[in-house]
Amino acid sequence: MITQRRLALAWAFIVCLLVGHNAWLWLGQRIVPDTDILALLPLEKRDPVLQQSFTHMVDSAQQRVVVLVGAKDWPGAGRAADAYRKVLAPHGALLAFDAMSDDTQAGWLASLQPHALLLVGAVQERQLREQPAAYWKDDALARLYNAFSGPKLGSFRDDPFGLFAGWAQERAGETPVRPRDGRLFVAGEGREYVLLTYTLKASAFSLGAQDAVVPLLAQAADAARGAAPDADIITAGVMLHAAAAGRQASSEIHTIGVGSLVGIILLTWLTFRSVKPIGLTLLAIGIGFLGALSVCWLLFGQIHLLTLVFGASLIGVAQDYGIYFLCHRLRADPALGSTALLRRLLPGLSLSLLAAVVGYMGLALSPFPGLRHMAVFSALGLVFAWLTVVCWFPGLISGRTLRAGWLAQHYGKLIPRWPRVSAQPKSIGLALLLGAMAIGGWLQLTTNDDIRSLQSSPPELIRDQIKLSKLLDAPSPVQYFLVRGASSEEVLQREEALKRRLDGLVAQQHIAGYQALSNWVPSARAQAERRALVEARLLATGGPLALLAQEIGEDPQWAVDTAAYLRANARPLVIDDFMRTPAAEPWRHLWLGAVDVGGVRTHASIVALRGLRYASLPLLAGAAQNLDGVQWVDKVGGISAVLGSYRATMGWVVLAAYGVVFAVLFPRYRGRTWRVLAPTAAASVLTLAVLGYAGQPLQLFHVLALMLLLGVGVDYGIFMQEDDSVGDDAPWLAVGLSAASTILSFGLLALSGTPALRAFGLTMLVGAALVWLFAPCFSVSKDSKHATPDLV
Amino acid sequence: MNKILLSLVLIFGAMSAHAAAPIAQIQAMLAKPDQLCGRFDQTKRLAGMKKPLVSTGRFCVVAGKGVLWRTLKPFPNTLRLKRDEIIHMQGDRVAMRLDASQEPTVRMINGVLFSLLGGDLGQLGSLFEVNGSVTGQTWKVDLKARSAALARAVGAISLEGGAYVRAIQMNEESGDKTDIVFTDIKTGPGAVLPEEAAQL
Repeated sequence: MITQRRLALAWAFIVCLLVGHNAWLWLGQRIVPDTDILALLPLEKRDPVLQQSFTHMVDSAQQRVVVLVGAKDWPGAGRAADAYRKVLAPHGALLAFDAMSDDTQAGWLASLQPHALLLVGAVQERQLREQPAAYWKDDALARLYNAFSGPKLGSFRDDPFGLFAGWAQERAGETPVRPRDGRLFVAGEGREYVLLTYTLKASAFSLGAQDAVVPLLAQAADAARGAAPDADIITAGVMLHAAAAGRQASSEIHTIGVGSLVGIILLTWLTFRSVKPIGLTLLAIGIGFLGALSVCWLLFGQIHLLTLVFGASLIGVAQDYGIYFLCHRLRADPALGSTALLRRLLPGLSLSLLAAVVGYMGLALSPFPGLRHMAVFSALGLVFAWLTVVCWFPGLISGRTLRAGWLAQHYGKLIPRWPRVSAQPKSIGLALLLGAMAIGGWLQLTTNDDIRSLQSSPPELIRDQIKLSKLLDAPSPVQYFLVRGASSEEVLQREEALKRRLDGLVAQQHIAGYQALSNWVPSARAQAERRALVEARLLATGGPLALLAQEIGEDPQWAVDTAAYLRANARPLVIDDFMRTPAAEPWRHLWLGAVDVGGVRTHASIVALRGLRYASLPLLAGAAQNLDGVQWVDKVGGISAVLGSYRATMGWVVLAAYGVVFAVLFPRYRGRTWRVLAPTAAASVLTLAVLGYAGQPLQLFHVLALMLLLGVGVDYGIFMQEDDSVGDDAPWLAVGLSAASTILSFGLLALSGTPALRAFGLTMLVGAALVWLFAPCFSVSKDSKHATPDLV
Repeated sequence: MNKILLSLVLIFGAMSAHAAAPIAQIQAMLAKPDQLCGRFDQTKRLAGMKKPLVSTGRFCVVAGKGVLWRTLKPFPNTLRLKRDEIIHMQGDRVAMRLDASQEPTVRMINGVLFSLLGGDLGQLGSLFEVNGSVTGQTWKVDLKARSAALARAVGAISLEGGAYVRAIQMNEESGDKTDIVFTDIKTGPGAVLPEEAAQL
């Protein structure tokens, strides 16, 4: 008794340390779990430049809310847009309108004027190489005489051959959006739209901001529809997806969460006539969680959200220890002290902890940091929860604390009548039948690791997103080329090499176009080439300018003066200078600039693709081949690949864990060891078959659930095999209570709208139910345990 | 990605159509026929050039079809504007083709040119400040671009006329000046020559 009290006090001291450390971490340090799925990649596969390119692409979009307000005609669209803006105008501190100043409109080309001679579009550059002087003379003449000669910048003298205008037109062609009456205009699908963009002042993931902004947007949309009844309002933004996910999660917490809580309370009441056991179980799990987090943080210095979520759920196994103790306490003679009872149960409890810890440690052998963290987190969590049960429960629960409820009285009667596995024909036939069913299901099992199948945003949001991307001809933020070089000049030259390949794909309509900084700032080499070309083809003595002078009756000096005038606008354009101009604003995210990688300065940029077709992805991946410093990036594919390799690795780890657990259990159970594992193994096999029949492709979250199933299933196996001389049906009661709680807490996630949770929940629901059903089948009934030797 | 959209600005300036200008009297004087053809004499005075550039030709404005602008002298050269495209022919060669699917502003540009040649002041009011005066049977209108971008692209425009637009003057910020005078204006079914009808 004395030792037990000392243990409890020592444990209380440790728990105080844990609580203190956690309070310091969360409240003092304000630690935030890592959420980037690619951070789960093995370390050697990570690439700082690539990571930074993701940040550049995502950050440029994350805080933005983009709205298209459309109507059948432009005035209607304008009215609707004004009504929309009016509703949001008073809320500038929350959602700031990105106004476009008239100066920006007029001034963006002015900043490029000093470089005009060097800025030549692709088509005209080809024509410069091919066409004779007479062609350019005629071209300039037409420009001279025509009243409305198409695109034109400045005076005739600024751009006699229309090269700068042609280049500017090419750049404008990179987006279908045009300023019109001080608004931004885009047309499509028989409507004219006003484009409004807003910047969110709070984080897109802040719940407070979401609660405030979403109703405002709805109100603004109503106002717009009021101003133009045929208005079409398309809204997109990361925040809307985050808000939808939040809404779904909170509504699920209300339904699933409340359902499972009520279920567990009811279950406990009916068993123990008290809800105290729930508090105790939660206490054990909570301490397990805090302990695991503290030690993991000390070990790794960071924690990933996925580790936290699955680690926490794996600690769910810890409820079994508490329930095992409580059920035996209920059935044991009240005169028997709790400490003595615990001592009797200790072998089974220790073994079940050892099996779980050893099993999870298998995860630690994988090369994936996420799985390693998960293994350590879960194992530590179990140890802490287990210690809580061992150190505190005897002191908290005395022999008279619990009384058998209705469930405890009646449930036990089921066990003697339960079918047992035996060599009888009936039993073998049933096994064969189940085996055949399992094979049938397995044959239909497929896998799908595509991250997009985990997408759970509401369809109308996705529809809006697609429509908006199409109308705005926006580039894909997750598929692009990453270009690197030792200097910015090398990056630009490599971009140009890549663009020559992409031009072929544009011609074949695999992509609509590309966005790259080198479109705006050609490499110094390309600028020098163009300068030489313009000199030779247009400005040379006796060239098109001289011919033009003759034709319009100006003296030869005019040609000389004009050439000199044009040469004054041939200052080489440098990327750093360009980045300071207003024209660079929309393209800033494409330029990563100098990135420090292990002490080496690398320059990098992004070439983004418009009008990407999914079927063309392999072709695009091929376009980067044999180009120095050019890398094809497909983040969707990358995340899917991470999920896929985690799934595969995890699958092997589950299999290996069975082997390891078998080895751990063997010294105690010898010939009966298979009986401990068989219910879980059979349940897992059949669960996979059910998934096959249900047409659910296998993914990481199913396999993670199988790992948890192994954890809880082995406990049930051990409970059923342990000597039950303390109380007749205590193990059976513990298994039933544990399984029911598992189903209520994890299995109900099968009702979730989030695909990952649904997959996890469905596996747990079917699996835990099957283990529950199978566990008694493999137990040895009291008489046979002593009378006959083991079947194996 | 949406930053891209913010500052990309068209080359032609921003154009549109709504809100009528208070120029009702001039509007009432204008005939606004379905078909209108005539002769134009254009004089351009360009920055850095001593001599003016003179050209003449024929033009047609046909409601629902578009505008044909045929320079005949000093050399043939045709500009055809339809709802969704702008085509520039040098002799028989297509020197430039711009359609609305590549360049969304084509429709707006064409709308403005159509309004200019037809003297449709109501359509121009949203883009320009319109100031007019009437003297007997003639009127004069000054158009001043409302946005800096448009001012940069087209400068100041003035129109003169009676039942039809008789002259257009364009003074660009860059110093280039264009004067166009319209004569021999014919309306009705016979106005459009067969070769012109074939091109429109």
